[in-house]
Amino acid sequence: MSEWEPKIVAFLCNWCSYGGADLAGVSRLQYPANIRIIRVPCTGRVNPKFILAALRHGVDGVWVSGCHPGDCHYIEGNYYARRKFGLLKGLLEHMGIEPGRIHFSWISSAEATKFAETARAVVEKVKAIGPARHFIKRQAEVA
Amino acid sequence: MMSDRFVSKDGLKDGIRRLMERRAVIGPVFRGQYHEFAQLAQVDELDLTFQNSRLSPKGLFHPHSDRMFTYSLAKNDPEAGILKEAPQDYSPRVAVGIRPCDARAFQLDDANFETETIKDPWWVRRREATTLVGLGCNQPCATCFCTTVGTGPFDTAGLDVLLVDLGDGYLARPVTEKGRKLLDEAGFAAAAPAEASSRAGELRKAAEQSLGKLFSTEAIAGQNTLELFNAAFWDEVQFSCINCGTCTFLCPTCWCFDIQDEVSGEKGDRLRLWDSCMFPLFTHHGSGHNPRSQKLQRVRQRFMHKLKYYQDKYHLGAACVGCGRCVSHCPVNIDIRQVAQLMSASCIC
Amino acid sequence: MYAYTDRIREIARRLLSEDRVDLVIGYRKGTVPFMNEPFAARTPEQADRLWWDSFCGANLANYLPRRTDRVGIVVKGCDSRNVVVQILENQIPRDKLFIIGAPCKGMLDRRRIAAELGGKDALVAEEKNGRVLVQGRGFEVDLDRGAFLQENCSICIHRNPVIYDELAADLVEEQSGVDRYADVRQVEAMTSESRWEYFEELIRPCIRCYACRNACPQCYCPTCFVDESAPQWVGKTLDPTDTRTFHFLRAYHLAGRCTDCGACERACPVGIKVRQFTKKLEKDVKELYGYEVGLSLEERPPLDTFKPGDPESFIM
Repeated sequence: MSEWEPKIVAFLCNWCSYGGADLAGVSRLQYPANIRIIRVPCTGRVNPKFILAALRHGVDGVWVSGCHPGDCHYIEGNYYARRKFGLLKGLLEHMGIEPGRIHFSWISSAEATKFAETARAVVEKVKAIGPARHFIKRQAEVA
Repeated sequence: MMSDRFVSKDGLKDGIRRLMERRAVIGPVFRGQYHEFAQLAQVDELDLTFQNSRLSPKGLFHPHSDRMFTYSLAKNDPEAGILKEAPQDYSPRVAVGIRPCDARAFQLDDANFETETIKDPWWVRRREATTLVGLGCNQPCATCFCTTVGTGPFDTAGLDVLLVDLGDGYLARPVTEKGRKLLDEAGFAAAAPAEASSRAGELRKAAEQSLGKLFSTEAIAGQNTLELFNAAFWDEVQFSCINCGTCTFLCPTCWCFDIQDEVSGEKGDRLRLWDSCMFPLFTHHGSGHNPRSQKLQRVRQRFMHKLKYYQDKYHLGAACVGCGRCVSHCPVNIDIRQVAQLMSASCIC
Repeated sequence: MYAYTDRIREIARRLLSEDRVDLVIGYRKGTVPFMNEPFAARTPEQADRLWWDSFCGANLANYLPRRTDRVGIVVKGCDSRNVVVQILENQIPRDKLFIIGAPCKGMLDRRRIAAELGGKDALVAEEKNGRVLVQGRGFEVDLDRGAFLQENCSICIHRNPVIYDELAADLVEEQSGVDRYADVRQVEAMTSESRWEYFEELIRPCIRCYACRNACPQCYCPTCFVDESAPQWVGKTLDPTDTRTFHFLRAYHLAGRCTDCGACERACPVGIKVRQFTKKLEKDVKELYGYEVGLSLEERPPLDTFKPGDPESFIM
């Protein structure tokens, strides 16, 4: 268990959170290397299928981060995303995915420190649960 | 040797227990809400008082999802990209409680999977490994119509042994050499008294008489194909269909499949899985054209295939054994008996 | 029940002879007990084959999306709400519809009745005064209708159609004091591991026939996610992860769109309680966004809109 390092996929919106991650890097802020970033134009673009695909691939955690409500580069993308994600997280956890695997945040392109802190928090939470146990598609389990 | 034997109810259990020591025994087991054919862990799981299983036992030879081949995609693997046959278990096994309709269906399926020129090795090897012990239907369901389509509640076609429930025990009739060998192995040696055989005959007659003749498959075979194809009644028949796969997946004579590759990391599988002509993408071509893009075309195809084309092609009767599963479970009550009556009508209007 | 049948036939006959619609979608009596078949009457004569009883559980709104003809359609309370959603989602124009509303006291669950009969074959079922008389070979039982309702009907709070052009019967009293989410709360009280096992057991019999999806009036995507192959989001075998993905994502697609009509559970040939997925979403949509599906043509579906003050307690 002490050997295991979680793999966490982070969907970051290009205009805010990705910028924040970039600023964190440029500012030499330390955050865990467990985060694998996928840049998307907007959190509104994040299709629930992406999160499912990530879980099926065996990632230990998924993190989606975008602009603060009201600051979306596309005006309203993150408002729709907020509704989608609330329901998605609810159903995933209802189905038995451990709470603490799926995370959402609003981080602006200036909030480098917040990015690093949130990254650390996400990794801590996922580490506490352990490696992904469910919903992983490897070889088809056929009779 | 090929004459009827008699075995008590407990005797049957003992015999099956004996068989289970050497090979897998599969039979109807009640799970959840219905019976399914499953490998017995203990003989007490076997329930021969069932009517029929929800899904047909065709899964014994043609499972829903089947791994055909595996392959490696590893960069430095000299065997990368080469299909290797996935290991399967073809050890001898017994299926008990197969209804005559389902056994007849396997023969109809054989016409597809085992021809003069093409033999599907997965199907063929599983068929060869399996001894089929049938159970006559003393009381056919209200939705059964096996006698209409050329089989019957006590028909032995496709079976190796036929059991008849006489109340105090079973008549065990060996049908093939394979079946006789199994009865010997199970220890069912006691010859049946003549009275038991005649009682079985009476049960057979009563069961057959309880089933009427609902339509004539010969009449459908005799129809002009194009006239049947263009008949006006298809519009009404197809309206309610929701194009799910229920009829196809429950049907013992449906065999259509899809083959898909699934890759996980550096390993891949070539899988065979059930498909249905009811699904809109069934006839979707690589070019994008779909000759059966309309629901009417698909619904018509199903009934034409089962009741007309199959007859014309193989001369084995219709590709329907009257098991009644589609009749009972179609979510919108499309009734093949009714469609067949429309198809066999002397005036196609 | 027979009064409904007469009324529906009368309305259909009138609509067809006055050429106000091209067809009337209703039900005709099934060929087996406890089942009816969705049926399109296209002439006044065919209208006489329309039928209504407590086994009209199929959701006829399933036959509406993308129709271009003038349609008369018989709808129960739940079905009418699906029609509202379809209009909101531009699947069918309101002016092409003549909606015949059928206030509903609940549809009966044929599998619950079959279980009650213990495997005996029913031949005839007749309804009278809240009782169902079932006859078969050598037996006869008299059942209390109320004990055999479809699960969704027993907790229904919208029995009356919310949209209609003409009613086939008087409005019925809505049920009150109904707890719609007892089963959802039961799962919510479980640990993650128990929840996982609960749903694993629930979908174990699934044979991926897609009857649930196809019976649903809200499932009308030109290409279902199951059939998408570039990329392939879900495999088509009976692999448990793939089957779980199918049910999860299908339910999620119905967030804020499902009216709990029960057509999915009714259609499933292996009796899976697929509503256990959608009920959770229905509860969340209600609690988070105060929205009930299909009650108003003026409200956009919840995932098609937003409020600046939407709940975000789940955001870090």
